[in-house]
Amino acid sequence: MTPTQLDSKNPGSALAISGLSKVFNVGNPNEVTALSDVHLDVHTGEFISLIGPSGCGKSTLLRVIGDLTAFDSGSVQVAGKSPEEARKERLYGIAFQQAALFDWRTVTRNIELPLELAGWQKSQRQERSAELLDMVQLSDFAHHRPWELSGGMQQRVAIARSLAVDPPLLLMDEPFGALDEMTRERMQNELLKIRMETGKTIVFVTHSIPEAVYLSDRVVVMSPRPGRITAEIEVNLGDRNEMTRESDHFFRCVTSVREALRVHDTSNSTSSSHRGEI
Amino acid sequence: MNTKLGYVWPPILVATIFLGGWQLLVVVQDLKPFLLPAPSLIASEFSSGATLMWGAAYYTATTAFLGLIFGTVLGLITALLAQRFITVDKLAAPLAAGLATVPIIALTPILNNMFNITSRTPRVLVTAIIVLFPIFVNVTRGLIQVNATQLELMRSLNATPRTTLRVLRIPNAIPFFFTGLKIAAPLAVIAALVAEYFGGPQQGLGSRIASAAANTAYGRAWAYVLAAIITGLIFYLAIIALERLVTPRTAQVTTTA
Ligand SMILES: Nc1ncnc2c1ncn2[C@@H]1O[C@H](COP(=O)(O)OP(=O)(O)OP(=O)(O)O)[C@@H](O)[C@H]1O
Ligand SMILES: [Mg+2]
Repeated sequence: MTPTQLDSKNPGSALAISGLSKVFNVGNPNEVTALSDVHLDVHTGEFISLIGPSGCGKSTLLRVIGDLTAFDSGSVQVAGKSPEEARKERLYGIAFQQAALFDWRTVTRNIELPLELAGWQKSQRQERSAELLDMVQLSDFAHHRPWELSGGMQQRVAIARSLAVDPPLLLMDEPFGALDEMTRERMQNELLKIRMETGKTIVFVTHSIPEAVYLSDRVVVMSPRPGRITAEIEVNLGDRNEMTRESDHFFRCVTSVREALRVHDTSNSTSSSHRGEI
Repeated sequence: MNTKLGYVWPPILVATIFLGGWQLLVVVQDLKPFLLPAPSLIASEFSSGATLMWGAAYYTATTAFLGLIFGTVLGLITALLAQRFITVDKLAAPLAAGLATVPIIALTPILNNMFNITSRTPRVLVTAIIVLFPIFVNVTRGLIQVNATQLELMRSLNATPRTTLRVLRIPNAIPFFFTGLKIAAPLAVIAALVAEYFGGPQQGLGSRIASAAANTAYGRAWAYVLAAIITGLIFYLAIIALERLVTPRTAQVTTTA
């Protein structure tokens, strides 16, 4: 519940990206422009989704923000700091498509990993992990091993882990990608609840248009070769409830996102048709 | 089907049929012991010479055990060092293949000259060198072959290489370590035994097999071979037991050497 650490010059900015480019395998025949002239501003407490066809650079963008990969040109500021500073100050938590839990640790100890590395005392760690387990409703599984959990439960553990040090920014790369529709919707609601409770800024990558619309304040549409942002759609669904997914406003947003995606899909159809999803 | 007995009966049945067929073959064909002694002969030699067998097996097992410990420690140290320099798993496999072609056992006469031939030392060293490779190759793999997402997670948590080694790489390498140990343990017994063929103290299984065969006591030679097999099996089973103790069930990943 701590308020987001603010950028002193620009107090509302959680993320300021301008003119960002990233090229893989420079000079090789298999050179790929993963990101080209990307501009993106996210204000504190905002929930944005990145959506676009496979290979358009969503994960790369997330990795650049998290300082998990270097970029070639442009500027990236995370709460007014360089990505490296932000990483070193543990300003963000990250959840990947794979839960990436450590099999040799119990659920609790997986959640406590970021706390251990941040040098928390044992008693504080236990207190915090109990709190997080409660939040993701897995208190009964505290001492289970990851493999004893279902995919959805594992993903909840990964999310709890990403929240452990209470970072103001959450980066999520298709965390619900492998889940069935029912679990997925429940997880979406849990995530929205967590967001309400903690007021975090969230950058969420997804392949699902309804998911992007349901979760976000703003949907950022990307297109491949070169990876770039082609549209941004404000959602403003207000408080979500069981009726939200059936509302006209929801459908209108879904339609706008779909159209924004289609515009670039047709222009690229020949080159992208052979690309399967991974 | 899933009861414990379900697992016990098939091997017993196979063994009975195998030994029965063997005995039958020897009796019906009237095979001479130097060709193939009957299981009954081996069994009677084995039980009548039990104390001798036990003593020889104990001597060789001690060599094997010391070599196994020493080789494992060396293998772990080299793997930890290699992990710092080899970052691509691709390198480990050709390295292993290359090392596997070195006829290490041929080093024994040289080591016998370098060290006191009347002591156990040269044999322990040969065993240790043989044990080192499967441990080194498997553990290096386990340290390097780490889930890419887990590595990214460690980076996102601002972990130093040292912390990553402790928190991620070493635990990740434990199933690989046991794969290496399961190969190394029976190998240690074979190495300790074969090393005895090159002179030195004569109380081990290898020396006894050689001298029994030289004295045309084929039944006895085979009884010693049986003792060697049992020793190797005990080493292997001890590793399995250790693995059960250390690693939780599902984390026992099957890896290849
Ligand atoms: N480590 C890398 N080395 C070389 N090329 C890479 C690397 N990582 C990504 N790429 C390339 O960059 C482009 C963008 O990849 P990225 O993983 O960011 O796409 P994505 O939008 O996340 O796709 P998906 O939806 O399938 O996850 C792709 O063309 C990919 O081949
Ligand atoms: Mg991706």
